[in-house]
Amino acid sequence: MNDTEPAATPARVAAPSAPPVVQMQAITKLFPGLVANDAVDFDLRAGEVHALLGENGAGKSTLMNVLTGIYHAEAGQIMMNGQPVRFGSPESAIAAGIGMVHQHFKLVRAFTVAENIHLGWHETPKLVSPALLESRTAELAERFNLAVRPSARVEDLSAGEQQRVEILRVLARGARVLILDEPTAVLTPREAGELFKALRGFTARGYSVIFISHKLDEVMEISDRITVLRAGRNVATLPAASTNAVELATLMVGRELHPPQATGVGERKLGNIVLQLAGVAALDDRGLKALTDVDLALHEGEIVGVAGVAGNGQRELTEVLTGIRDVIEGQVRIGGHVMSGADPLAFLDAGIGHIPEDRLRSGLAPAMPVATNAVLREYRAAPIARGPFYLPAAAMALARRIVADSAVLVPSMRMPVRNLSGGNQQRLVARREMRVATRALVAAYPTRGLDVGAIETMLRYIVEMRDRGVAVLLISEELEDLIGIADRIVVLFKGRIIGGFTAAEADPERIGLLMGGRVAEADALATQPTVS
Amino acid sequence: MFRIQRIPSISPLAILSSRVIAVVSALVVGGIVYSLRGFDVFDLGANVIDSSFGSEFGVQDLGLLFSPLILTGLATAITLRIGLWNIGGEGQFYLGAVFATAIGLFVQGPDWLILILMFIGGFVGGMLWILVPALARAYLQTDEIITTLLLNFVAMLLVYFLCTGPWRDPHDTVTSATARVKAEMPYLFGDLHWGLIIALLLAVLVAAMLAYTKWGYEVRLAGSNRFAAFYAGVPVRRRLIQVMLLSGGVAGIGGMLEVAGTVHHLQGGMSNNFGYLGILVAVVAGGAPIAVPAAALLMAVILNGGIVLQSYGVSTYEVLALTGLILFFVAISEQLAYYRISRPPALKAGAGA
Repeated sequence: MNDTEPAATPARVAAPSAPPVVQMQAITKLFPGLVANDAVDFDLRAGEVHALLGENGAGKSTLMNVLTGIYHAEAGQIMMNGQPVRFGSPESAIAAGIGMVHQHFKLVRAFTVAENIHLGWHETPKLVSPALLESRTAELAERFNLAVRPSARVEDLSAGEQQRVEILRVLARGARVLILDEPTAVLTPREAGELFKALRGFTARGYSVIFISHKLDEVMEISDRITVLRAGRNVATLPAASTNAVELATLMVGRELHPPQATGVGERKLGNIVLQLAGVAALDDRGLKALTDVDLALHEGEIVGVAGVAGNGQRELTEVLTGIRDVIEGQVRIGGHVMSGADPLAFLDAGIGHIPEDRLRSGLAPAMPVATNAVLREYRAAPIARGPFYLPAAAMALARRIVADSAVLVPSMRMPVRNLSGGNQQRLVARREMRVATRALVAAYPTRGLDVGAIETMLRYIVEMRDRGVAVLLISEELEDLIGIADRIVVLFKGRIIGGFTAAEADPERIGLLMGGRVAEADALATQPTVS
Repeated sequence: MFRIQRIPSISPLAILSSRVIAVVSALVVGGIVYSLRGFDVFDLGANVIDSSFGSEFGVQDLGLLFSPLILTGLATAITLRIGLWNIGGEGQFYLGAVFATAIGLFVQGPDWLILILMFIGGFVGGMLWILVPALARAYLQTDEIITTLLLNFVAMLLVYFLCTGPWRDPHDTVTSATARVKAEMPYLFGDLHWGLIIALLLAVLVAAMLAYTKWGYEVRLAGSNRFAAFYAGVPVRRRLIQVMLLSGGVAGIGGMLEVAGTVHHLQGGMSNNFGYLGILVAVVAGGAPIAVPAAALLMAVILNGGIVLQSYGVSTYEVLALTGLILFFVAISEQLAYYRISRPPALKAGAGA
């Protein structure tokens, strides 16, 4: 990049006579081997929600890190209210009124809400008592209309509450510009609704919000304007009122999308049972019962969707089905053969792939190279192994193929896999597991962290596997995805399967009620004639 | 204005050069302190180099320090590959020496056969000494740092007991040691025996096993993320035990070679702290078995140089302080290697706030 070139003149700036609150001009940020931001223009007006939309690696986070002083751009400049500014650190950005709420909360979990609000804040009184901090926090909460419990410990709070604490922390420090990085990723739909209400409250008082997301629906719902980034460039800045989800998706991905459809569901006859749980109970890591009396059969050529709020036994279910966790009651059978004990290798040898829930903890060795991780399931056999030997060159060749197939862009195969973005890690793991899943694939949240284009590809792969006769267990938080491609849906609640539907019967409302454990209401709904 | 940035991954060359810089910096700091004490540093340095490499005797002495350091260093480095710390090289070294001595003293046969038996005995002795920590680690998650460390003292006292008690050579009234072990390692030249070659070969062998066998892949995977290794189907517990036993065995071979090649009997204090210095060697080598010989050579030069330095009036403590400084600088360099100082592009005139 040529940084001696004069900065591009501010392009669009149309209506408002007052200068934008934030104006980023021709921001270019380079990383070794990568142009993360390529002459990006971005502006934010007072009182608006401006969404920053883009696929993983499109440069959204980089742009915001430049704005908040975490990164320094190689070229371009930043103006606030018409004045050039330059932040050396997030502290100086917040002093100028720009505060960011990160995707992973930066709170001290053992501290109370009030303590977290006052931590590292120059306005914190020199002499403090819990009562004083709590009353100050209560005042702030009231001022910004954010419901928090000042005396509660952060570790006892739900994700939504923690997020409010983060937002309050930033607002208390005088932020007029609030940057939210994928704020709804950790929220339930209800909490997301509350967040949106709070955001509208802020903008009504003249605050501005930058909303980073890759979820089209919520971006359409909350934003005034939308900027789409693709491959580090600003491809469009549009008023939300004059665009739609389809146009945004096309802009984001650079091509049109064709979401996979459940093809001919119901007409196909089911194959043999591949993987079966009979009366299974299992404990979680703390020794508490996580699964109770679970009966589940996966047939060849079907996708069974598991709906449920995270933490209702999904992890244990996948682990029992892949030999990582032993059962305390009941049987796990592969093709009628009863498996005994925790033995992941036996399940792997039986052709069962596993996309685990938390890939960094259990699916990858984060500090090891991409190549080493890519061959993690296939190093035992030729061509990577010859007798007792491991052939690094053959491993590298296979790794290259997996990486190419999963469409992950990797600067170097020797790079530690933790340096890949979350979405790329997910694609790598998914591709690797699909290769070994010759009979069954147990996939926990395979689309988590992926953007629309990649979700589409991932779901299509899963459908293709099903069509080849592989049995698929698909756990997802996205009810729409489940209903879209699953042949059957079961609902997991507190470790029990409390409902089962064929694709034809699947009704989001009933499933939603069951996910919340409201069996009676769901049943009541079922007895009524379906309203169409 | 300068900015310090953390970079996510660095090349092997950067790691190597950061280590070289660290060692040189430690020597510079040590040199400044020595010169403040009134020593002529360059004269001392020249003498150290000369005494280590300048004469056949120097090279012999260096080699005799070098071989055991390779093996104890290798012992700790192996466990680092699977994410564990064997701090008990000292004890395993002693037990290897005990087993080798027992065979040397009490088994009759031709020297070559006795040497082979001693070699096996040394390996087994070291393995047995780490067996309990290994099982405790694998089945009870007991911290191996504590268990291996504490067993060092048991081993040391055991050797004192044997040398002053049941195995004491009654003809020797001066030192407390066993009788001379008759079988001797063949010599390369002078006092320098083939143990050096064995140690170097073992380092290469272990490095090759880790890089080019399925077993090695599994060990590295388990060392990087035990959960992922289990998920991948690696028998993690078995690998933990195997790696620890191998580590103990390698340290035990160090003890055997010391008996058969250098000291020729069992004697209290004969380990010369090789077990502990091996931890240092492993750290300087960054836990990489292939780098252990280079780190062990550095340590040997320092130890050998220390003897020379003492003849110039530098105290033992000042020599030990130098080894401490090196470890300290290497530890810092390991982190600093991930940072880079960059200068952001200059602002256009008038744009500065």
